Amino acid sequence: MSRHQRQPIDAGTVRDRLRRVTDPELDRSIVELDYVDELRIDDESVEVEFTLPTAWCSPAFAWMMAVDARDVLETHPAVSEATIRLHDHMHEAEINEGVNDRLAFEDVFDEADGDVEETRRTLDEKARLARQYRAVDALLEAGLKPEQIVRLTLEDVDVETDSGTSRDEDEDRAVVRVDDALSICVEAEPIRRYVEKATALDVVSASTDALFATPAGDPIPADEFETVHKRGRLAGTNMSGQGHVCENLGEARIGGPSAADD
Amino acid sequence: MYQHEGEDVFVIDGHVHWWDASKENIKHEGGEQFIRCFYDYHTGFTPDEREWSLEEYRKYDADRMLQDMFGSGHTDMGIFQPTYLNEFYKEGFNTIDRCAELGDEHPSRFVVNGRFDPREGEAGLRELERQKEEYDVKGVKLYTAEWRGDSKGWRLDSDEAFEYLEKCADLGIRNIHAHKGPTIRPLNRDAFDVADVDAAATSFPELNFIVEHVGLPRLDDFCWIAAQEPNVYGGLAVAAPFAETRPRKFGEIMGELLYWLGEDRILYGSDYALWEPEWLVEAMMEAELTPEQREEYGVELDLETKRKIMGENAARLYDIDIERQKEILQDDGISERFDLADQYGEEATAD
Repeated sequence: MSRHQRQPIDAGTVRDRLRRVTDPELDRSIVELDYVDELRIDDESVEVEFTLPTAWCSPAFAWMMAVDARDVLETHPAVSEATIRLHDHMHEAEINEGVNDRLAFEDVFDEADGDVEETRRTLDEKARLARQYRAVDALLEAGLKPEQIVRLTLEDVDVETDSGTSRDEDEDRAVVRVDDALSICVEAEPIRRYVEKATALDVVSASTDALFATPAGDPIPADEFETVHKRGRLAGTNMSGQGHVCENLGEARIGGPSAADD
Repeated sequence: MYQHEGEDVFVIDGHVHWWDASKENIKHEGGEQFIRCFYDYHTGFTPDEREWSLEEYRKYDADRMLQDMFGSGHTDMGIFQPTYLNEFYKEGFNTIDRCAELGDEHPSRFVVNGRFDPREGEAGLRELERQKEEYDVKGVKLYTAEWRGDSKGWRLDSDEAFEYLEKCADLGIRNIHAHKGPTIRPLNRDAFDVADVDAAATSFPELNFIVEHVGLPRLDDFCWIAAQEPNVYGGLAVAAPFAETRPRKFGEIMGELLYWLGEDRILYGSDYALWEPEWLVEAMMEAELTPEQREEYGVELDLETKRKIMGENAARLYDIDIERQKEILQDDGISERFDLADQYGEEATAD
């Protein structure tokens, strides 16, 4: 592959890229969660060091974050190689070697049964559902009725979905076409976050696909709207509740004697 | 008995331990990692001034436990939930025989639960019979992530587990407490699975399934299963300390539990010695839903609801008649030791 003369990537761009990587259990960015300790840039090579709240965080989740961080950096044209280093984890050696050498999770952790991609899918579906709750809530607040919401299709919403780019304030509203006669303007962020996850998962792909879906990925019958919406709320409560557990464990780890006398 | 705005609240702690993680008892590095993991949970959720040292935390004596539970801890009764971890600890971490030492000394204060592990085959079934016979257990604590030889866990919906559940039903052991928590090793099979509870609860409608830690980090899967299965309950251990550290978040979790399960299927538990009942009971009793949460969830966390969660629901599962029990507690050894008799006396008539 031929390479053009380029400016090396800067730390700000690397961070912006890493913002797209989420803790799969919490659906929050690893940058926002403060997992990233250090970045090193050497021409076209980037090295990222990160630490999780506990040494026994699920190796499968750690693996996913490391792989995502690597991939999100290596797809940038100014990066030819990204190296990821996880620290202070029970399985850091296996994870660092496995991810940087591009091995399969199942080969590194041969006692694991079940597929890491299946695990990722399950968590992504929960994240989609929690994001759907916030998007639907924004639409309800804007005055839409449940039967109007379940009829919306992907082409009815107009939002930019590349989270890596910054936006000016005018773009912070999304236009939603309710029917031929009516369009409304709502806060863009919850809609954008939802569309990003739903399209990445292929729950919604064609422009005429129903925008919102049941946990199983089907269009929502109007009489099930309430239950589906409440399940989305529940998925969000679970994630933010677990986020609180992780946060407290992280604090205990940094301040506690278990870290000091190891 | 806890007093809340002049009203009595009978507290049954649905989840307590008497463990031994002293260095002498550890036989595998997993045992050391396990107690340190517990200790991080302890320090992560305990107010700074109430934290124990790691050495205190490894092994505490009977006097300390009684003081923490009943002397200062507002607790009237506790339910022991054994955790064996025989691969990690020479004499086990928190066995029925160890818990029963304390239980036998204070039978009015403790309910002693048993445990089983379906990988133990015929011998395990005999052991379950022994637990029933010797301790008259009414419940079992199950730790599906426990190691045994090459196995790193088991499922509640396996044929082997069903054989044990059948045995529980035969013996009249009705309360099945299943630990569902985070996974330590890369066994991603059980990393988010509370689904095995679903199949077991459907197949054994005569048994009650209490999912400890309300399934966190799988509160969503747990609530959805519990919404379909009327014999599934939620144990609040781990969620309860949120009342202290993050009251608003606690309100959300309680909102969800009350919405999906209702007030009759939630059980308070301290997970002692993970957390001490004194501050935990106070935090639970002080907890309130915000007006927005009350509107969002359409539920109340009022005194009547709290009474159920703090004791009445567990009393129902364990056949405890609270009024009768107060009479027994009034002149038991614990009331004598901590001068509690007045709490359980006749309510003074106001004339």
